[in-house]
Amino acid sequence: MEIFKLKVYRYDPTKDSEPYYRTYELPVEKGMTVLAALFKAKEEQDPTISFRYNCRAAICGSCAMRINGHATLACKVQITHLLEKYDTDTITVDPIGNVKPLKDLIYDMDWLVDKLKRVKPWFIPKEPPPADGTEYRQDPYDHHRIDFASDCILCASCMSDCNALKANKDFLGPMVHSKAYRFIADTRDGEKQERFEAILEDLNLEWCVRCVECTTRCPKEVQPYENIIRLRIMAAEAGYKTPGEIHAEIFEQDIYNRGLLNEMLLPMRQEGILGAIKRAPFGIKMMLKGKVNYADFFGGHKIKRLEEVQKIYEVAKQKEKEVKIKLPQIMGVIYEDKRKTRKRPNYAETGGNE
Amino acid sequence: MAELKYAFYTGCSAKGVAPELYNSTKLVADKLGMELIELEAATCCGAGAVQEKDEFLALTINARNLALAEELGLDLLTICNTCTLMLRETKFKLDNDPELKEAVNEVLKEAGLEYKGTSEVTHFLWEVIDGVGLDRLKEMVVRPLKEFNIAPFYGCHIIRPPYLIGYEDPDNPKSIEMIIEAVGGNPVDHTARLACCGFHSFWSAEDKVTLRLTAMDAESAKEEKADFMVTPCPLCHTQLDAMQEEAEERIGVKLGIPVLHLPQMIGLAIGFKPKELGLEKHVISTEEIIRKVA
Ligand code: SF4
Ligand code: SF4
Ligand code: SF4
Ligand code: SF4
Ligand code: FES
Repeated sequence: MEIFKLKVYRYDPTKDSEPYYRTYELPVEKGMTVLAALFKAKEEQDPTISFRYNCRAAICGSCAMRINGHATLACKVQITHLLEKYDTDTITVDPIGNVKPLKDLIYDMDWLVDKLKRVKPWFIPKEPPPADGTEYRQDPYDHHRIDFASDCILCASCMSDCNALKANKDFLGPMVHSKAYRFIADTRDGEKQERFEAILEDLNLEWCVRCVECTTRCPKEVQPYENIIRLRIMAAEAGYKTPGEIHAEIFEQDIYNRGLLNEMLLPMRQEGILGAIKRAPFGIKMMLKGKVNYADFFGGHKIKRLEEVQKIYEVAKQKEKEVKIKLPQIMGVIYEDKRKTRKRPNYAETGGNE
Repeated sequence: MAELKYAFYTGCSAKGVAPELYNSTKLVADKLGMELIELEAATCCGAGAVQEKDEFLALTINARNLALAEELGLDLLTICNTCTLMLRETKFKLDNDPELKEAVNEVLKEAGLEYKGTSEVTHFLWEVIDGVGLDRLKEMVVRPLKEFNIAPFYGCHIIRPPYLIGYEDPDNPKSIEMIIEAVGGNPVDHTARLACCGFHSFWSAEDKVTLRLTAMDAESAKEEKADFMVTPCPLCHTQLDAMQEEAEERIGVKLGIPVLHLPQMIGLAIGFKPKELGLEKHVISTEEIIRKVA
């Protein structure tokens, strides 16, 4: 019988001075999930392992943990897939990242709940329901825009692996921004401004570094990263002049005027003259290394056929209001290079959003 | 062997702050038998910035970039992670939404263009493996990098999200290690191997996020005693190399870990001189590497 090792993070702050790992040897069974393996270890070898679970069917969001370094639902992933995916005989289980572990795989949820409260994660109608006693109505496209975001089960897998959150625990995080999106984008909701203010405090929304861990980890179709991008678009439309918005304008102008970004003049335009002075020592360093394209200070070169681009701007800007861009479906989708041979063989079934 | 001919999408960085990437890519590609036809009419991909303001405009501009490759009947080759993501995102959205594709084409038509969806978007990293092939690369190595411990830094957009990238498993990618081994180096595992460099939140969260990540990344490679890091992305490179000293200041620790562009590393192994590859153009000194390969 094939055996695998389940290496489990253990920590009981009332007894242990340091966290440690304990390894359990278990038979490989077809279809066994990590959660089932934890149960087996607990029932047969060590009744003291603590972990959260409830539905065992990827619905409740209780069992998120880091499995071989990446957060996911323990009840959703199978041992045989993981062994193949990581080409190993050991499955390492840690509590989710970026949170305070309480005991073994159980983490402190209060911190997440406090963050969530800041964006008021509940529906606040902008007007009373229709007088005829029917429900609030919504255009199908408007509903489509929040449909995926409404599927969040608050499992915090996305929070676990978020790079911005790793750097700074004051970041609200993908789960929370995504929740804010779900309501800000809801045409029936009336508290947009308050929510915008919460997510833009200290520019929080723009701390997201676009690492796309959140969307990659999410066991549902929530698309937290994409929701953050959508929120930024909506913030720009609502008139918030953030550094991100200024940055986007510079790019848009450069593409229109020359095709490529003028990196040399970027700091000056981004932050004004004071910014340029602040960045001067850095600029000099780059110059000394021969990394400066001097021509760019005088506008630099233009791409060929720039007139096509300028025409596109004109027409696209007129047209964009009438185009309803659908949200892509990403569940179970792995980008397929049409040149079939060009797909890496080591892509196990369990990669990405299952 | 199939002909290795690509529509070469340089991106802005390689034409701006990372000329050494542009030059080393051309040299190395040529020696590896890859023919690069530069798309001189291509625009910037928007880098996610335009995408955060005008989604439709960004899609249309990138549809034009893709159409330029289609005109040549070639697949489009990038040398930047974020370019790869932006172009693939465009392709994915247009190929999966006929109405959107039609709307975009109505705009392109005014400029005399059409997006068909016939060219793939690929990255230099992938083409070294799938186009050139690792066996062929191994044969061309004249200066194996055997004394070097090399820390791969993938950068986010070459692995995530899988619905747009999907070249390899984002949880356990191997491509850079495969190339490091092919050129005789020792890949070192480190905690920031799949982490983010922080580049994209620089203007809004330089201190709060960006430089903290940069410092963690460089520290992670340093901890594993890497001689240098290697990355397939000029944005990661700018962040990890040009901004490393700023990151060091924030944590009060000197790190000084050199960062090479992927084609530079390959170039050293297949016989180019450090100078030809622009190694002296880095902010973090590469002298130690130059001395060793001499
Ligand atoms: S994309 Fe943004 S929110 Fe999502 S994990 Fe990365 S930094 Fe966090
Ligand atoms: S967005 Fe996805 S990963 Fe994040 S909490 Fe919701 S369901 Fe979990
Ligand atoms: S990602 Fe950067 S380098 Fe690539 S085209 Fe866009 S702006 Fe230029
Ligand atoms: S911040 Fe760096 S590592 Fe992260 S997505 Fe951008 S270039 Fe990639
Ligand atoms: S136990 Fe409910 S999601 Fe895993």
